[in-house]
Amino acid sequence: MILLAALGRRLVTAVPILFVVSMLLFAALRVLPVDPAAMSMPPNATKDEIEAARREMGLDRPLPEQYVLWLGRAARGDFGRSIHHRRDAGKLVAEALPGTIELAMAAMVVASGLGLGGGLLLFMLRGRRMEPVAETATTLMMSVPEFLWALLFIFVFGVALQAMPFTGRLDPGMKLPGITGFLLLDSVLAGRPDILWSAMVHLLLPAVALGLAFAPPIMRVLRASLIDTYHEDYIRQARLRGISEGRILLRHALKNAILPTLTLMGVQFGFLFGGSLLVEVIYSFPGMGNLMVDAVRNADLPIIQVVGLAYCVVVLVINSLVDGLYLVLNPRLRPR
Amino acid sequence: MARISRRTLLQTGAIGPLGAAFPAFAAETDSVTIGWPSDVTSWDPNQRFTPDAHSIMKAVFDQPLDQDANLKLVPGLITKWEMAADARALTLDFRDDVTFHDGSRMTAEDFRWTFFERIKAGHKVDIAQSMRKVTDIEVISPTRAIMRFDSPAPTVPVWLAFLGSFLVPKAYMEKVGVEAFARAPVGTGPYKLVEHQMNARIVLERNEAYWGPKPKMKRVTIEIIKDPSARVAAVQSGQVDITINVPVREVTRLKALPALTADLTPVTKVILLQVRNDEGFADPNIRLAAHHAIDKKALSNAFYAGAAVPLSVLGVPGSPGYLDDYGFAFDPEQAKQLLAKSGFSVDRPARIRMASTNGQFPSDYDIARAIVQMWKKVGIEAELEVIEYAKYFELNRGGKLPETTLYTFDNATGDPEIYTGYLLNPKLPFSPWKDMTLGQKVIDQFNVADEKARIAGWLALNREASEIGAAMPLLQSVLTVVRKKTLAVVPYRNGWVLPQAMAWD
Repeated sequence: MILLAALGRRLVTAVPILFVVSMLLFAALRVLPVDPAAMSMPPNATKDEIEAARREMGLDRPLPEQYVLWLGRAARGDFGRSIHHRRDAGKLVAEALPGTIELAMAAMVVASGLGLGGGLLLFMLRGRRMEPVAETATTLMMSVPEFLWALLFIFVFGVALQAMPFTGRLDPGMKLPGITGFLLLDSVLAGRPDILWSAMVHLLLPAVALGLAFAPPIMRVLRASLIDTYHEDYIRQARLRGISEGRILLRHALKNAILPTLTLMGVQFGFLFGGSLLVEVIYSFPGMGNLMVDAVRNADLPIIQVVGLAYCVVVLVINSLVDGLYLVLNPRLRPR
Repeated sequence: MARISRRTLLQTGAIGPLGAAFPAFAAETDSVTIGWPSDVTSWDPNQRFTPDAHSIMKAVFDQPLDQDANLKLVPGLITKWEMAADARALTLDFRDDVTFHDGSRMTAEDFRWTFFERIKAGHKVDIAQSMRKVTDIEVISPTRAIMRFDSPAPTVPVWLAFLGSFLVPKAYMEKVGVEAFARAPVGTGPYKLVEHQMNARIVLERNEAYWGPKPKMKRVTIEIIKDPSARVAAVQSGQVDITINVPVREVTRLKALPALTADLTPVTKVILLQVRNDEGFADPNIRLAAHHAIDKKALSNAFYAGAAVPLSVLGVPGSPGYLDDYGFAFDPEQAKQLLAKSGFSVDRPARIRMASTNGQFPSDYDIARAIVQMWKKVGIEAELEVIEYAKYFELNRGGKLPETTLYTFDNATGDPEIYTGYLLNPKLPFSPWKDMTLGQKVIDQFNVADEKARIAGWLALNREASEIGAAMPLLQSVLTVVRKKTLAVVPYRNGWVLPQAMAWD
């Protein structure tokens, strides 16, 4: 109930945020020195034909008028047609979105697992001889961007060991079940364990590459948070009561220390969602990142606009969920 | 006792069980997996001009006319074509044994639908621009049609073998509509589309009822791999059998591997400097000096392993507009003399701006930087800026391109009209050269009906453009192809890599 109420409040505030983001996106894209009308025409189109296309696309009208027209259509679910694909931009993004969400969630699982596990390990190694080694390792992990991990994994697991596939979402010969677009879910719904296995294996390298790059901040924040928590009186009292160190860490300290980490993980998911762009291109993973790269290259403004809004929506939803979870875990923050 | 290598140990260890799950790596004798750098924009083949996807389109659809590996126009769905003396009518004879993938027979009515009726019906197709002179297509019989034009259209046969010119079935498209057609396309080509996962994979299956030579490969899988490093990894690991457009520096390395071979093939794509006729380039001495100062051979050696042919005119060797007997010399001393005539020297350099893309084609930005250094040695100081390819047209439209821009232009037909006629036509969006003295000659040349006079005119214009510094052609671009040694593929001079032209040894 608390979670639902928090979600409701968040979603209400999300509407004006979305409105502002859509306005900023629209304005930013229209002032870019690119010519969507020229990009929509073949190379042998004359200047007159390009001018005609510009009028047809409404690009000759004042910017506020263009925005109002776009907003009116967007409210009806019409986000315009892709210049490059000449297809409904909303549908194209809707087709690509599940893949990216799936990848981002898998990467978040990796980042959370590594981040929380690593954070606990770093905390337990504090003051020991291995502490500098562990700190150096996290610094190293943090210094390597996700696209470099992606290339490195391709080299090691794809080329050197030839053990892992690194293109697409499925093995050749397997067809997408095409139910929801979320391949892992679809393969379960379709009762196809072979597709589920193939999809998981194809997801592994990109998800780990993406997750590895986002795990170190979680490790560090959890460690710092645990160190703060260990200065609290209740930890000392737990020790005096003879509770084991392991139990104190996992049952008492972690419960409180995880709250700031959770906030960070929410923020991280937003970054991770955006960070999937290069990883998707490198792994030929058909998601929004791949769509966005083409859209930028072709000045496909309707696509860029919808993708930008989709990122905004996903980040808002995730942040709302994290905030709700925060309330569930920390009763002191609940409204009295 | 059998020895176990470290590699085997690793593969059969933690990763080994996963590796065992991928038997798909192994090549079969009647199937091929291709690593391709870009996806198909739309399966309505008339809709967009997409040179990068042309080879894939040619697998599913047929063109009315075809080109052989040496750019020569050859029969396709059309067996015979005859242009009227005034180039205002083109009589076409079609094959009578062609069926679409849905089993329906291809006739001249389908040709009329594709190149006339659907344009008039308002379908948003790029061929509306290439067929803009068509006033009607008269269907004489199922195997004969006459195209009529409002002005001389001598290059229409060339366009029938060029971008976007693929025959689509009238009955099926009218029945299902354009959107549904693009989801489930029907062509007459050697392959049928089985599956398309956007930005990931295309699967084709041989059309057993194909009218032409039966392709060797029964199944073709095209993996869309946009990242060049990933394409290199894919072919090296055996996940694909062949790939294209890998970095030139990788070609030598991959060629040395026992299972692979690699080719650097000069193609119809040209790399050039597009120039303005005003601002810092208003003075022809500076333009010509800039051209004389560029060591094109050195650029080819440095960035294309010497395989890119230095060019002096807007055309490639073997194409009709190429001048075998003309060369624009690399001559830094002459460049210095020309600059001196205009009062410039190394100590008092002429100042210009230059634009280049970064990553639009292999080594583009590095080539631009090398040219800037070459110019510096003779007395031209160029300020280099990076632009997105998409920005080029907008900047040109607003007259905001710098004095010169490093540019690349592909023309699979090799026809001079599509090189010079486009790159130097002030009415088209490519040309920053706005001077109408040359511009009007270029525009007039489009209407020359007689083929000999037409080619002679373009040859003269090509020479003039280089001599006045309106064009600075640099190199004939190369296509890099890396493939398994046992996989043969026909090398087309226009860069086509056709699945139907592949076979295992």
